[in-house]
Amino acid sequence: MASGWQFSSVPGFPSFGEPKWIPACASAPAGERERLEDRRKLRILVIDDEQLIAETVEEILKHEGFDARAVFTSAAAMVLAEEWQPDIVLSDVIMPGLNGIETGIRIRELAPQCRVILFSGQAATVDLLEKARSQGHRFEILAKPIKPEQLVSVIRGRS
Amino acid sequence: MSALRNSLSRKLTVMNMLVSGGALLLASLAFFAYDLITFRSNLINSTSVQARIIGTNAVSTLIFNDPPSAEKTLSALRASRHIVYAGIYTPDGQFFSGYWRQQETFPPVSLPALSPQETEHYWFQDHQFALVQIIAFQNKPVGFVYITSDLEAIYSRLRSYAIILLVIVGASLTAALALSRVAQRAVSQPILRLADTAALVSRERDYSVRATATGDQDEVALLVDAFNEMLVEIQKRDSALQESEQQFRSLADSIPQLAWMAEATGDLFWYNHRWYEFTGTTPEQMAGWGWQAVHDPITLPEVLIKWRASLATGEPFEMIFPLRGANGEFRDFLTLAMPVRDAQGQVVRWFGTNTDITEQRRSAEALRQTEKLAATGRLAASIAHEINNPLEAVINLVYLARMQPANVAKYLTLADQELDRIAQITKNTLGFYRDSTSRTDINISQLLQEVLALYNGKLLFKRITVRPEYAQGLHISGFPGEIRQIFANLIANAIEALPTNGLITIRAARSWLPDGSHRRAIRITFFDNGTGIAPEHRRRIFEPFYTTKKDVGTGLGLWLTLSLVAKHQGVLRMRSNIRPGNSWTIFSLYLPEAPITN
Repeated sequence: MASGWQFSSVPGFPSFGEPKWIPACASAPAGERERLEDRRKLRILVIDDEQLIAETVEEILKHEGFDARAVFTSAAAMVLAEEWQPDIVLSDVIMPGLNGIETGIRIRELAPQCRVILFSGQAATVDLLEKARSQGHRFEILAKPIKPEQLVSVIRGRS
Repeated sequence: MSALRNSLSRKLTVMNMLVSGGALLLASLAFFAYDLITFRSNLINSTSVQARIIGTNAVSTLIFNDPPSAEKTLSALRASRHIVYAGIYTPDGQFFSGYWRQQETFPPVSLPALSPQETEHYWFQDHQFALVQIIAFQNKPVGFVYITSDLEAIYSRLRSYAIILLVIVGASLTAALALSRVAQRAVSQPILRLADTAALVSRERDYSVRATATGDQDEVALLVDAFNEMLVEIQKRDSALQESEQQFRSLADSIPQLAWMAEATGDLFWYNHRWYEFTGTTPEQMAGWGWQAVHDPITLPEVLIKWRASLATGEPFEMIFPLRGANGEFRDFLTLAMPVRDAQGQVVRWFGTNTDITEQRRSAEALRQTEKLAATGRLAASIAHEINNPLEAVINLVYLARMQPANVAKYLTLADQELDRIAQITKNTLGFYRDSTSRTDINISQLLQEVLALYNGKLLFKRITVRPEYAQGLHISGFPGEIRQIFANLIANAIEALPTNGLITIRAARSWLPDGSHRRAIRITFFDNGTGIAPEHRRRIFEPFYTTKKDVGTGLGLWLTLSLVAKHQGVLRMRSNIRPGNSWTIFSLYLPEAPITN
């Protein structure tokens, strides 16, 4: 387990890791820098058509000290992404309408510095990665089911 | 008459005889007629002269009324044997003196009337010739002479003429017969020789012989020339035919198939080399119906029934059956036989081929296994997705329960529900892996619902509405794993075809097999209001490797489905409409309630 990640040893309540300041999307206008600098928590947009998964992940991430919001469709994700400018998009792959990859690509158009992490129940992750890479995106892929500890570790790992 | 009809030489002879006999007869008759006319006029003349002589001699007896002297004169007529009677009459017609050929004296014959201007009158009557002549002295009539003569001379002449005629005609005809015998040879011999040549050609089928020319320029020579020209033509065609036959046999021997020909009766009279090579038999063993020896005794009765049916109806023969090779091993052959018809449409022979499809069958079987594996793989992926989602939820819920002790009950209840979902999925999918080597009773509605449950995730994902309409208590006897596979493929196809918010209607009801057999069956229709199948794809969707969704399918799904349906003796039909706004596809599956077992 990563250091400073001790919730497992303290049952009942987790210790929130040191919240880090992340310069959000570089594309943000210079005038907004003041507002962005106030941000202390990573903004994570969770997308999954399985409502229960989206809500539990949102809950867990909030618990871990992130600013998380859950949506259940790619359309809702698009609206929120533009307005809210998340740092990370965590999306299911197979969804009605736009799938996770297409959603990720569209959100990168709205927020180019966003990190996109996909998680899928299907095993064919290599193909999915190839598809995104062919369009110039380095998306990370996680396989469902993933333990919350691992998820948080991945999110923190690169940050 | 038939002898006359059958022989040209006899006809010629009879013709010759008729012509020569007829001509001779006509000539003789003309000659005799002329002779008779001449003889008759001679008779008249000589009688007239005799009457004058008698008249001259009788003048004085008349003048001096001396009948005995007249009698004397008349008696000189005894020398003329044909004079029957001669009489001298006075100018007033009174009998004066007479002569009778017979010695006894007949009463005097009265003088027939003579017209005033005439000095002489004659006529023929009752086989006699009569002549009356005036006796004149110093230009005054002093009396009449009356002579009757019989016609014996003419009759005897006629008799001798008849004899002569018979002799001449007889002799002439005999001579003509002999001559025509010789002459007709010149005509009939070349024709007979021509006939012999024709017989030889048709018997020996040797078109190289030629009829010998007569050396003449007559019609027979023309006939001989025409006949020889015809032979040249036939010889050309015959050699062309032989060449073509040779080519056909070379071709038939070079193809990898076994090939054969049969008479219209079904007797096989020719096989190509491959046949003998494969079966290790001889032409003698195979002649007629000898081919039965290389058949599997189990399939032979069906082969015979089908072959006889084709022979009776003239319908092409098509069947797959095993044939025993020289090594004793049976291989599967697709056998096709086509009737060859003459200009009248009558079957004159059959041409058949046997194509070894053992390898194809093996590859087809391998393909089937491949698709089964691929289907299993896709199913596994589908199952993984279906399980991984609720599993993810459970893991998250457990984590949250641990983190938030106050909400433990809520999280665990939710987790429990998700675990139920997982249990349901595993329970349903297990059916796919049950042993399906024996037939069991299958509840159609239940099986359809189990398969649908498996696709729950996909259906939810695409927000597809499923409308099941099942009749009560539908059961068939079959292999559950395979029926499940059929349902799964048809439902998966419908889901693939649908956009979001589509509709699938599945109906199941009792029906009959639509193949005319009137067997009880269950009809299950899978309706979707997706984009439909374009006409150009409809014929091909059941072919292996045919797919319109290259990145998703192997193109073997419907092909495998069809073979599974066939295995259950069922029927699978498809109808589709691609009209925008009203497009749909229906797969109608008929499964017999109980299969026919042989």
